[in-house]
Amino acid sequence: MNRKAKRGLLIFFAAVVLAASVLLMLSAFRENIVFFHTPSDVRSGAVAAGTQTRLGGLVEKDSVKRQADGMDVAFRITDGANAIDVRYRGILPDLFREEQGVVAEGVIVDGALEASTILAKHDENYMPREVADALKAYETPEAVK
Amino acid sequence: MSGSVIELGMVATALSLVLAIVCIAASIYGASTQQPVFNQVARQALLANFVLVTLGCFTVVWSFVQNDFSVAYVAQNSNTHLPLIYRLTALWGAHEGSLLLWLWFLTLYSALVVLFHWKTHPRSMPYVMATLAAVQVGFQVLILFLSSPFTELIPAPAEGRELNPLLQDPGLIIHPPMLYLGYVGFVVPFAFAVAALIRGNAGAEWVVATRRWTLFAWLALTSGIMLGGYWAYYELGWGGYWAWDPVENASLMPWLTGTALLHSIMAQENRNLFRSWNAFLAITTFALSLLGTFLVRSGVLTSVHAFAVDPTRGTYLLAFLGIVTLGGFGLLIFRADTLRSNARLDGSLSRESTLLFNNLFLVVATATVFLGTLYPLAVEVMADERITVAAPYFNKTVLPIMVAIVWLMAIGPVVPWRKSNLTRLRKLMAGPICAALVCLLTGWFFGVRALLPLLALAGIGCVLASIALDTWRSTKARIDISGKSWFAGLIATALWNRRRYGGFIVHLGVTIVVFGILASGLFQETKTVAVAPGEQFKIGAYTLTFDGLEQVQGPNWAALQANVQVFSGPDDAGLMQPQRRTYPRGGMTTTESAIRSTFSGDLYLVVGEELGGGRASLRAYFIPLVGWIWVGWLVMIVGSLFALSQARTYAAPARTAPDVAEAANP
Repeated sequence: MNRKAKRGLLIFFAAVVLAASVLLMLSAFRENIVFFHTPSDVRSGAVAAGTQTRLGGLVEKDSVKRQADGMDVAFRITDGANAIDVRYRGILPDLFREEQGVVAEGVIVDGALEASTILAKHDENYMPREVADALKAYETPEAVK
Repeated sequence: MSGSVIELGMVATALSLVLAIVCIAASIYGASTQQPVFNQVARQALLANFVLVTLGCFTVVWSFVQNDFSVAYVAQNSNTHLPLIYRLTALWGAHEGSLLLWLWFLTLYSALVVLFHWKTHPRSMPYVMATLAAVQVGFQVLILFLSSPFTELIPAPAEGRELNPLLQDPGLIIHPPMLYLGYVGFVVPFAFAVAALIRGNAGAEWVVATRRWTLFAWLALTSGIMLGGYWAYYELGWGGYWAWDPVENASLMPWLTGTALLHSIMAQENRNLFRSWNAFLAITTFALSLLGTFLVRSGVLTSVHAFAVDPTRGTYLLAFLGIVTLGGFGLLIFRADTLRSNARLDGSLSRESTLLFNNLFLVVATATVFLGTLYPLAVEVMADERITVAAPYFNKTVLPIMVAIVWLMAIGPVVPWRKSNLTRLRKLMAGPICAALVCLLTGWFFGVRALLPLLALAGIGCVLASIALDTWRSTKARIDISGKSWFAGLIATALWNRRRYGGFIVHLGVTIVVFGILASGLFQETKTVAVAPGEQFKIGAYTLTFDGLEQVQGPNWAALQANVQVFSGPDDAGLMQPQRRTYPRGGMTTTESAIRSTFSGDLYLVVGEELGGGRASLRAYFIPLVGWIWVGWLVMIVGSLFALSQARTYAAPARTAPDVAEAANP
């Protein structure tokens, strides 16, 4: 092989590697984009059953119910207008409280969310931005107290 | 009284802004009129700025120590109950102080560059100084006018608020400074690259000058990332150390391009190849360091709308980043004609071509992380739709690239420069390939079936054997000539070319880290239980007995603590006490996991919540070999320091290293 052919071979290999990475990247990207929704979105049927979803809002007052074994938890996430049932198994995050902001990630089944991850508000200043936005409509005087 | 102290700090910082502008003007005027006296002025300005900004930082720290709540930044991030050590380090506990620390490191690097390179690089120096001073101006304006830690609060509150409890931790004392030491360090190759481009002299000079600076910055950034991972591991309580969080990704991107730069400069040094590419990498790495700082510190990740709340700051940060990026790349394109070199890539199989692939992989990895981190922000701005890119995206794209890079580590360092052929390669790689097969079969035997981990394991074996064989060949050549003992020969070989063997040690460290990541990911066990006092459960080889819950009081927190007796087989392994702490002042709660580390793995316990009747929920992890990640990091530090210890080389050693290997293996 002469020098030109070798260079060509090298460029060819590099191009193949690059193309493969881009394909891998784009396919993985499409599969892993998770959309954020509010309870009202879910109620209106904008979220297809079985898709991975992030649901954000406030934990509804007096909605947290624990199973006897202490591991299964059910509660409702509300944006003020609508509320959605959430089921979760495991330890809730440090800052999970009723009437506090929360984001639950999981799959919608029969109009309820089977959550795999619960993210609670991080501190007094920081709120997951999805929650802050979802609650804009909810910030009525009596909710703020 | 101490209100005047903080004013002093502000005045000092303002003065440093003036001096930075003087420095830019003087160095450019001095260079264009060939009057060295102006270069002297610029030099003194940069040296003075280090003193001034040090004073600025000191006044903020002083205000924290004095509990001076008339300083807004102190009132927001400290109170009288905060232990002294955290008051000393609260400087970098929030946005404004972190930027001041950034500026301090910048003035430190600037002063050191001036001192070290004044005599060796007189022609580049004016442009280097102007670039450094220009970056300083960017930060000084930001600190003085848009996010000042010197702002006074009148009337002063009697008591301050709380430093974010997650940051009240020894790990967080050193993690941010270490990270910034790395970020800011990349300003040196950036400044030299810009100077080389302006002068139209993009030969190997700037690369040789900045090699050790780049390596040092890379070492600091590596350590910053590792410390952050370690902190996340024991403080956040989810049994992991890396979550592909945007904050983490922000630090990973400059690390990836910095690693690429560290490798590709060797091609320019030895073969005068990749000239514009190296300048591109130097500019990109520094731009990504800035991006990382801004992503984490501008609030844009909390909400794009934080930009809207404080539009001047957001616009300023974007403009700053834009000037650095467009200015750098613009210069690169404008000067492209001066960058052509006569050197050619000779063969498709050579050290150069493996470096090319190393760079290709690292840059593609950077691009994938960039896309996954910034795409959600772009979508929110443009389409007002909120999305998250989930962790599997990063795992699916970045991990295969990382495995490919592991394999490159086996081949790259031993293939000679210029040209090689398959016969040579076969001879070099026969041993390492056998080692790879052994590792692959061992992995299979332990139940690993997934393709990627198997390939990674095989790659690790290949790298280790390749390093060992290469070292052995060089050592043997030396023993044959000198008649020294085997051990003395090995030491002499390593000392003779510290860059090469330092690199090998770093690669060894990387394989240990990769092995730790693989094993801890593949064989991790998790169990979540609800237990009453006296109840037992098992995880890994451990039997755990729950003794009950207890309330514990700390200096500025109260905690719910679970007492758990641990038995490893029949042996008493002691008491583990995971806590859930509440900080009444800020109303925050943190998880304090209990970790029992051994060579074979970590037992990791988190207490959930009180379930009534003395029962509690607990989560237990057994994470095998996770400690190897931190051990590998220590090995990487040793290797980097070893390579750093070799002074600048303008000639032979690095080039002749493979030749010795050839001599030993004719």
